[in-house]
Amino acid sequence: MSLGLQDLRTNSLLPGTSACPGCPENMAMRMVGMALGKNVAMIVVAGCSSVIQGIGPKNAYGYPVLNIAFAAGPAAASGMWRAYKQRNKDVTVVVWAGDGGTADIGFASLSGAAERNEDFIYLCVDNEAYMNSGGQRSGSTPHGAITTTTPEGKRGNKKELLFLMLDHNVPFVATASVGYPQDLIDKLKRAKDVNGFRYIQILTPDPYGWLFDPSKTAEVAKLAVQTCYWPLIEVVEGKVKVSNESLHCLKKETRRPLKDFLSVQGRYRRISEKDYEELEKYVDSLWDRIKSMS
Amino acid sequence: MMKIMSGNEAVALAVKFSRVGVVGIYPITPQTTIIEELAEMRARGEIDTDIVRVESEHSAMGVTLGAAVAGTRAFTATSSQGLLYMHEMIWWTAGSRAPVVMVVATRAVGAPWNIWNENTDFMSERDSGWIMSFASSPQEALDLTLQAFRISEDPRVFVPMMVGMDGFILSHTKTNVYVPSQEDVDQFIPPRRQPYVIDPETQESMGNIFQPVHYMKLRQSINDAIQGSIDVIKEVGREYEKVNPLSDYKTLNVQYKLEDADYAIVTMGAWSLDAMEAIDKLREKGVKVGLYRIRYIRPWAEQEIRRSLEDKRAILVFDRATSLGRAGPLYLEMKATLQSPMKGVIAGLGGVSMSKKDFYEVISNFIEEVKFGNPNKVEWYYPGEVKYVELGTPRSAY
Repeated sequence: MSLGLQDLRTNSLLPGTSACPGCPENMAMRMVGMALGKNVAMIVVAGCSSVIQGIGPKNAYGYPVLNIAFAAGPAAASGMWRAYKQRNKDVTVVVWAGDGGTADIGFASLSGAAERNEDFIYLCVDNEAYMNSGGQRSGSTPHGAITTTTPEGKRGNKKELLFLMLDHNVPFVATASVGYPQDLIDKLKRAKDVNGFRYIQILTPDPYGWLFDPSKTAEVAKLAVQTCYWPLIEVVEGKVKVSNESLHCLKKETRRPLKDFLSVQGRYRRISEKDYEELEKYVDSLWDRIKSMS
Repeated sequence: MMKIMSGNEAVALAVKFSRVGVVGIYPITPQTTIIEELAEMRARGEIDTDIVRVESEHSAMGVTLGAAVAGTRAFTATSSQGLLYMHEMIWWTAGSRAPVVMVVATRAVGAPWNIWNENTDFMSERDSGWIMSFASSPQEALDLTLQAFRISEDPRVFVPMMVGMDGFILSHTKTNVYVPSQEDVDQFIPPRRQPYVIDPETQESMGNIFQPVHYMKLRQSINDAIQGSIDVIKEVGREYEKVNPLSDYKTLNVQYKLEDADYAIVTMGAWSLDAMEAIDKLREKGVKVGLYRIRYIRPWAEQEIRRSLEDKRAILVFDRATSLGRAGPLYLEMKATLQSPMKGVIAGLGGVSMSKKDFYEVISNFIEEVKFGNPNKVEWYYPGEVKYVELGTPRSAY
């Protein structure tokens, strides 16, 4: 499958969003529209995407949207798909949440919905901080990153949602990056046809929180994958598949230096050599775990 | 048909009769037997309600809201800490104008741990934008739950509704309950109605950011809908006689021996019956005293209350709840409604038992106070037979 120009004409994102320039969430939202079509009901939990849609009663998303409090997304989705089932309606229910809503405040309800194997797609748009409230650290912020609440750089690694969700043994878990639209769209299309709980974590580098030029969003999102900081994988019924773009990460020798990814962002401007080693160790252990699963 | 059942069983039966589509459940004492009963009904194949066994009360209300906006009838039940844990979603549901029904089996709120009855949990949701009724018997719990679906789904209302009942005292005590027929309930509760359905066909979207003035208008619309629901509640109550011919829901609140009374006692919930027995005793002695039982906290039936109570010489309000640092919430509501001399009594918190003898004693004292002085005050009442430890104030430690 390849992307044609005609695919970009999607109604998932209408003109007039109030997103910042270079917004990766807007990019991801458009890709969701390309992959899932129109038969979607979306639940947006608190975050940038509750703002991007603009001032109500109008809405810049081409979907019916239920905006809801931080921790209630997976629960509301559980109620929604069950209601559609009772009404004999075939609707794909999608939860759209940031890393804060997923890794921190919403984790109990995410875990509960995964344990019950609820029938919806959960999308975590991971920009590695609370970007909507000004860029504070979240459980998903990586080691060494400067945020507005960790001006000295965060101590301790990112909470690994990927492995946490894999431990729930749900039918579909995947990672993606807005730098590789085709990969994300393919994963969404496959996820659509799976029954039960589906989780996709999408890297959405934020120009304002990560401190890079808004024109470079796709580039930074690509660098994260090329340097193996961000894996592109898919786990269906326990079987791991590493996307082509990430295959080189399986061997340490073929990985692009992590510095290439870190140096384009202002949030790593204060890291020491020791922090750098810590981050490299993080990438090593990430891929060791992925290899051990395959 | 009459059947012996507990308040919780009566509520579960009402949920069954109402053909609820989705129920989000999480256990908490003393509400648990409602959801256990529903799970049993489902296991026996008596209902096709989708029961979602969630991981928290916050999620229980999340499921209920999600199911409601996606077009099905939705229900949940909770108590105490659970109600407080779902507080955020209670507001979210009200702000969404989503018709849903919740039953609260009331219970004290920690710390310290206390599983017994008190109404403070229920009363703490007064500002959230729900219609709030409170039962005084398992029969009323069943009746009000059935009426709640009809009221909240009425296009003139479209706000969620909660039904409270005293934990354990009603939730776990069995009495005779008139059980209506499914046919009569089907006639009474029409298919689900709601202001909007979120699905790809409607393309509705809700909960977005609103401009301040639109936000404020929405809040006012909820306020107006709740205040305006008084007529709907009375209409639904009158029609409910077809479902239960023994019922009387012509008014929002309930009177007992009040018409010729000089003194009015105001109560809410199950202990009203103990108060009534005390009133009977006082009446035997020639004391003209009557009872006014609050059945609806929201809407607050201001006119009805004024009409019933404004000619009374003095009023005594019993609260099984507190607004700490102030007075009982029911007392404050009554104070804001009437100019009459009024005393408030806070009693029965955390399961402290109030017998008809206690009511007799408190009411008798009150009447003496009215005769010989100013009754305007608030007192905390401890039954005479209860031996309690005198607690020092923190200052005494220094």
